[in-house]
Amino acid sequence: MEKNLLDLDVDERANSGLFLAFQYPMEIPGVQTSFFLKTAINSKRKFLGLPEVDALEFAKLIRSQAEDLGISSEMLKRDLNVNYSGGEKKKQEILQMSILKPDMAILDETDSGLDIDALRIVSEGVNKLRSEQNSFLVITHYQRLLNYIKPDYVHIIADGRIVKSGDFTLALELEEKGYEDISKIAS
Amino acid sequence: MNTAVKLDSSMDISNYSEKVLLNNPFENFKLENYKYAQLHKNISSDVSLEHYEIDLSSISSIKNLELSDALDIDLHSYLNKWNYKNTDSYFRVNSISERSSIKIDLDLFEEEILHLDLSLFKENIQINKVNELQKTIIINSSNFSDHIPRSIILNLSKNANLNVIHYSISNSKSFLYFEINQQNNSNVKFITFQSDNIHTRNEFFSSLEENCSLDLYGLNIHNHGVNDNYSFIQHMKPSSQSREVFKSIVNNGAVTNFQGKIYVDPVAQKTDGYQMSRSLILDNDSKANNKPELEIYADDVKCSHGSTVSKLNQDQVYYFKSRGINEEQALKILQKAFLVETLEAIENSQIKEYSYNLLEMRL
Repeated sequence: MEKNLLDLDVDERANSGLFLAFQYPMEIPGVQTSFFLKTAINSKRKFLGLPEVDALEFAKLIRSQAEDLGISSEMLKRDLNVNYSGGEKKKQEILQMSILKPDMAILDETDSGLDIDALRIVSEGVNKLRSEQNSFLVITHYQRLLNYIKPDYVHIIADGRIVKSGDFTLALELEEKGYEDISKIAS
Repeated sequence: MNTAVKLDSSMDISNYSEKVLLNNPFENFKLENYKYAQLHKNISSDVSLEHYEIDLSSISSIKNLELSDALDIDLHSYLNKWNYKNTDSYFRVNSISERSSIKIDLDLFEEEILHLDLSLFKENIQINKVNELQKTIIINSSNFSDHIPRSIILNLSKNANLNVIHYSISNSKSFLYFEINQQNNSNVKFITFQSDNIHTRNEFFSSLEENCSLDLYGLNIHNHGVNDNYSFIQHMKPSSQSREVFKSIVNNGAVTNFQGKIYVDPVAQKTDGYQMSRSLILDNDSKANNKPELEIYADDVKCSHGSTVSKLNQDQVYYFKSRGINEEQALKILQKAFLVETLEAIENSQIKEYSYNLLEMRL
C-alpha cells in the first residue's frame, strides 16, 4: 500500500513504521517509563487493528529488551528521561525502537555524549534489529559509530544536500582526509 | 471610597458583617488578598453543572449532628491569633456571624475513615481531633450555590494526626474558610480536589505550634468562571514543617487564582516551609494568577517558594506523537502527569483510586 508520509500526522507516520531516535530526547516528568512504552506499543497495535498487548507478555518483552541494553527494571519505573544521563537517554531511545520495531529508523547523532561501553551497547541494539525488511538512516559526525554499525551506504551531506555517496569505505576515506576535499566539491 | 474595615475588639462584629454582606456584598476588590477573587462580581456561566455525589460505599457518613451548646469559635480571636495584616478574613467573620456551628469530636467515632457531606448541614463545622490515632475525614462541599461563606475549623490537640480529603465539585458558588489549628507534634495532611466549579474561593488559615507538620495539596481542573485559593500558614513556634503544593489546569476561558503566604514568627526558628504553585493554561482565553508570599522574622529557617504559569510543552507533545501516541492521548497523559503529585499524597489506596478515576473523567 502506497502512502505519502508527508501527508500524515506525526503519530500516523510513527505508526506506519517510521522512527526517529532523538539527539536530545525530551524529559517527561510524571510519566513512568514503562507506562510510556506500553502506551506507545498499544497505539501502534491499535493503528494496525490489533488488540492491546497482554500485560504479562508486555512485561516479558520489555524486560528482555531492557536487559540487553543494560537498562534496569528500577529505571523503567522512573519518570521518562528525567534525571537520566546522556547515555541512559540514548539507551532509552534504542529500547523504544526495539519495542516498536520500525521499518525505517532515523538515528540522529545517537553517538553524541556516549562513552565507549554505551556506544557498543547501543550499536548492538541496532545491529540486532537490522534485517532485510528494515532500514536505518544513521546521522553521525564520527567514524567511531560506524566501526560498530557497518553501513551499506554512506552519503555525505554538505549545505543541506548530498554531495557524495559510496559504501563504508567512503567514511574511512573521510576519516583519513577530513572534509576539506568534500567542501571543494560542494562549493 | 470604600476602604478596608479594620477589626478591633471594641467593634460590634455583627454590624460589621451585615455591612459587608448586605449593603456592600463583597465590595472588597481593592483588598490585596481578595482582588483576584472578584467577589464583588456575580460570576455565572451558561454551563449546566452535573450533580456530583461521592460514591465510596464502604465509608460511613456523619449524620444527625446536633448544634453544639457552646460556640467554641471565638469571634474576637483573630486579633490575638493571626498575624494577618490589615483586615480579618471576610469569610471568617461572615461565616461566624451568619451561621451557627456544629462540633464534631472525631475520636468519638469508631471508624478510621469518615465522610462529612456539607450539604447535609448549613452550619459552620468545628472538627476536633484529640488523640494520636490517625483518622481520615472526607469533606465534600459539592453542588452548592451559596454566597454566604462557611467555616470549617480543624483543631488538633498535641500529638494528634489527621488526614483530610476535600472534594469541591460542581459548585456554582461556594465560599469556604478552612482553619487548621495545630498544637505541638500534630500532623495534618490536607488534599483538596476542585473541579467543574463556576465561582469558588477556599481560604486555608493554618497555625502551627512546635514540631508540627502540615501538608496541603491542591488540585484544580476543568473549571468555569473564577476560582480562587488563598492560604495563610503561620509558624508560631520552632521546628515545624509546612509543605504546600497547588496545581491548576485552566481552560474554557476560566480564571484560577492562587495566593499563599508563609508567615514565620520571630520565635519560630528551625521552621521548614515550602510552597509551590503551578498552573497550566490550555487555551488563549483562560487565565491564571499565582502570588506566592513569604514573611519571615526568624533568622534560622528554611523557606522556599516557587511558582510557574505555562502552556503545555509542545516539544513533549511532539515526542509522544513521534512514538505513535496521538495528540489527544498525549494531552491527557501530560495533564495527568502535571497533577499526579497532588493525588499521590493521598494515603488511603481506595480514596486515591477513586480520586484518580474522578480525574481521568475530567481529562
